[in-house]
Amino acid sequence: MSALDARPRKRDNHARPRKRDNRAAVAFLLPWFGGLALITAGPVAASFVLGFTDYNLIQPPRFNGLTNVHRMLSDERLHHAFGVTVVYVVVSVPLQLAAALGLAMLLDRGLRGMAFYRSVFYLPSLLGGSVAIAVLWRQIFGAQGLLNQVLGVAGVPDRSWIADPDTALSTLIVLNVWTFGAPMVIFLAGLRQIPVMYYEAAAVDGASRWAQFRAITMPLLSPIIFFNLVLQVIHAFQAFTQAFVVSGGSGGPSDSTLFYTLYLYQRGFNNFDMGYASALAWLLLLIIATFTAVNFWAARHWVFYDD
Amino acid sequence: MRNGMTRRSVLRLAAGAGAGAALAACGDGGGDAGADISGDPVTLRFTWWGSDARHQRTRQVIDLFTKAHPSITVKGEFKEWNGYWDSLATTVAANDAPDIIQMDELYLSSYAQRGALLDLATAAKHLSTARFDANALDTGRVEGTLYALPTGLTAYAMVVNTDLLGRFKLAVPDDATWTWDDLKNLGAQVSRASGGSVHGVQSWGFDTGGLNVWARQAGASLYDAQGNVGMPPDVLASFWQYLLDLTTQGIAPKPSVTIEQGAGGLDQSGTATNTAAFGTWWNTQLPSLAEASGQELRLLRQPGESRAPSPGAYLKPSMFWSISARSAHPAEAALFVDFLANSTQAGDVLLTDRGVPANTAVRAAVLPKLSGADKAAADYLEAIQVGPAPRVTPNGASDIEAILKRHTEEVLFARRTPAQAAAGFIKELQAEIDAA
Repeated sequence: MSALDARPRKRDNHARPRKRDNRAAVAFLLPWFGGLALITAGPVAASFVLGFTDYNLIQPPRFNGLTNVHRMLSDERLHHAFGVTVVYVVVSVPLQLAAALGLAMLLDRGLRGMAFYRSVFYLPSLLGGSVAIAVLWRQIFGAQGLLNQVLGVAGVPDRSWIADPDTALSTLIVLNVWTFGAPMVIFLAGLRQIPVMYYEAAAVDGASRWAQFRAITMPLLSPIIFFNLVLQVIHAFQAFTQAFVVSGGSGGPSDSTLFYTLYLYQRGFNNFDMGYASALAWLLLLIIATFTAVNFWAARHWVFYDD
Repeated sequence: MRNGMTRRSVLRLAAGAGAGAALAACGDGGGDAGADISGDPVTLRFTWWGSDARHQRTRQVIDLFTKAHPSITVKGEFKEWNGYWDSLATTVAANDAPDIIQMDELYLSSYAQRGALLDLATAAKHLSTARFDANALDTGRVEGTLYALPTGLTAYAMVVNTDLLGRFKLAVPDDATWTWDDLKNLGAQVSRASGGSVHGVQSWGFDTGGLNVWARQAGASLYDAQGNVGMPPDVLASFWQYLLDLTTQGIAPKPSVTIEQGAGGLDQSGTATNTAAFGTWWNTQLPSLAEASGQELRLLRQPGESRAPSPGAYLKPSMFWSISARSAHPAEAALFVDFLANSTQAGDVLLTDRGVPANTAVRAAVLPKLSGADKAAADYLEAIQVGPAPRVTPNGASDIEAILKRHTEEVLFARRTPAQAAAGFIKELQAEIDAA
């Protein structure tokens, strides 16, 4: 209760130092903005122009109007890559958020040594996008891998999970779910914001844990869930490293892990087709924007703001 | 009593997450290949693909060169085949190409016709081609211009592990007469005798060598003279049917194991790890395989040669030396390539690892010194009967192995029939050629 009592006071003397706070924030962000302008913004603008060209990386680009857009319509591998990516996003993000929320609620109960557990669970988030972990994944799910050695006890025959088109995508989904640490930390912060007295009042009224979860935790946490959802959907659409390393850059076996970004990369760098690849990058931006817009639209029906 | 999160703060946070794509811009040309060698320190970057054994030999040669030319430093950048071409395309696009590039027949047209490679005639002052015969030199020309110097010649072969055959009390087949059915039968006996720990045949269908041999034994060719796809669909379908049979009959490992090994490179292959009795390789890969395997390996002719109307076997320039068109030090790069290609000192170290030397003087000097696997590789080339070499891979088709691999996977996992895969493969490859 003491934390709650402190809050209103904090809000009162909030107004004046805000300007100075902002100035400090801008100063801290400046290097990042500089990098964005110099390293990212230029190429992004260039890629928009290149999207309307035929550009083989070595010779100067030639304008070809809307040819690249027409190609997208009949490009079967592109449609397939889009499908693979959507499956990945739609399956892995909810699972990942569920894992994150579940663990956040466990940790929120105030375990002894919580800072330690929080760090341990956060670790995969830092590592999950790295090449090292993707290589490790190959080791775990390969024919000679850890999983087969464990299953071997039960007599499951030799197979490679990453090189089988029926299971390869699932291993990447598991990898993404495993990186639940970042949303977990945000959930944890959100759970801390929910006043304990709500739960106490509910408990007095005889509400079960499940009822408390549905009636108190879910609505009050819904803005945080929404935030994590938007963020992770955007993140998952851009997944690249894991699929690249696990499939050796091919998106295989038989295109089962051909993420959108991987196909884009293949067109650009394997087929010397950078004009088309640039157009694909902008299409991806549109796709992500659309999914995000749908998310925001749907949020009106389930996200609860008490402001 | 308020919750910490407001509508506006969520919106603001979400707006911070966006998508970005990075692209590389291109720059201007390089130095003058006819210039004198600079007395100032020069650093050259040299990139190649290969196995561990090749990396060691190549580094020895670099040391020999820099000892003779102390002002020049050569930095080696070596990779495994699968990652090599991604990395080369990226560095070339970023105007950061290595000075000396180990090149393959598959990619020669694609890079040369886009102006990424130096016309070696401009470097004649430092780089001699006098010791190469005209036929060999022609393999490095694209539309008349010499962009690449062949390092050596190689031919497709079947590598057999005779220790494994001996362990299962099987005789080494006579490669003068053996057929594709013989390979199947022998392979099946190995798989059965080993109880699953060793397979008879390591499946292929991921490189163009096997495809070319199959086409040529049927009197066809992968590309026609104009550089379009010339492979008849039924021949291609029979190729995949054979590979499918190997897998379904347990002669080759399960498809997922095959594909994982294929991605792992030479050192993780069935031949190198002694888990497959037969495997298709280029003859000059024998020394690397022998080193990795540690067992007795021998080269056999491809099955079916005795019955084919014309030989499936052919001599392929195993790889080439080329120089980046944008190299800042083309004269020094040419000097280094001259050392690689023309010096018997380098030849003594490299031996046949990059093919039986195409330089006639180096070949004459090296052949008597060969022993073991190097000698076996050279002898194989002398022993086989070859037909005329197939056409160089046309511009646009350099990605053929990725397309081939994907269709082989579709067949092995029974997602497409061999006939469907053949139709799809031909259509897709032709579309890439048309688009280039």
